[in-house]
Amino acid sequence: MARHRLATNTDTRTEDAVATYLSDVAAELYGPRRRREAILAELRDGLDQATEDNIAAGLSPDRAAAAAISQFGTPQAVADAFAGELATAYARRTIALFIVTGPLVGIWWLLLLQPSPWRTGLIALLAAIPVLPLLIIAIATAGGTFATTGRLMRWLPETGPRRALAATTAIATICIIGDLTVITMFMASDVPTRPLAVIAIAASLTRIACSITTVRHATRMRSRSR
Amino acid sequence: MLPMRPELLKGHLDTLLLAVLEPGPQHGYAIIESLRSGSDGALDLPTGTVYPALHRLERAGLIASDWQTVGGRRRRAYHLTPAGQAALGEQRAVWDQFSTAVTALLGRRTWPATA
Repeated sequence: MARHRLATNTDTRTEDAVATYLSDVAAELYGPRRRREAILAELRDGLDQATEDNIAAGLSPDRAAAAAISQFGTPQAVADAFAGELATAYARRTIALFIVTGPLVGIWWLLLLQPSPWRTGLIALLAAIPVLPLLIIAIATAGGTFATTGRLMRWLPETGPRRALAATTAIATICIIGDLTVITMFMASDVPTRPLAVIAIAASLTRIACSITTVRHATRMRSRSR
Repeated sequence: MLPMRPELLKGHLDTLLLAVLEPGPQHGYAIIESLRSGSDGALDLPTGTVYPALHRLERAGLIASDWQTVGGRRRRAYHLTPAGQAALGEQRAVWDQFSTAVTALLGRRTWPATA
């Protein structure tokens, strides 16, 4: 009985040591929540396996857990090692969101600001919606970054975490400039306010808020990744 | 055997990880142990550097992973993809050429004296 209680206490201490270590690692990880959870679950499994191997090699449970933790490195070192992958994951996820939601914002402005009659050519379209070149730059940056941080990096030069975050910041900034421009243009024009305009402005304001958050997060992560 | 500095492995870790996964799927810690035991302890890498390298290889589509539950624990097992198998074959050929050339140079004990 006493022996069983002793074993249970040791197990609890071992558990506590691993849990404290993982909690310290978690405090240093920045990036998408699901990615962070997956990393911690994987580290947990590795630490448990290392502890079991150390016990099988003759160490006491306490020393086995301590040795496993030491083998994995300091929480800061482990978090630093993951910083690049988390930054890239954040950049890819955010860029994908911009690509997917872009048409949901743009369609309202296109319907609202389209030149009349509709088929008057590219010049008329650019005059009506002058932010189109900016959007093309943003789409090209997004496509390029997405391709060179994914499977195509086997053939194309890989974009590193810092450049991926810089591209994310650039895309978000272009969205802010573009949205502010079209809102200002619409306000300054004599086009009567319609429900379509309310939807377009609301969509742009939402994207501006999301873009500002993206710039803040990307800048903070960029300072942490090498 | 002296353990190698991690920076010496720069550029080769990806290929080594693919080679370790060639026989079959393994979880992260088992891969680290395979690197260590397969090199007689010479490749004793900090664990923190190996997991992110595996994630990068998965992002490149050279390996893939599945989550399993083993003994009540969530475990991520990695396996080679066909693209990873092909990349490993290419890297083996490159390494054979490189090592033959380097061994030919380093293997010379004495250099001929110049006049």
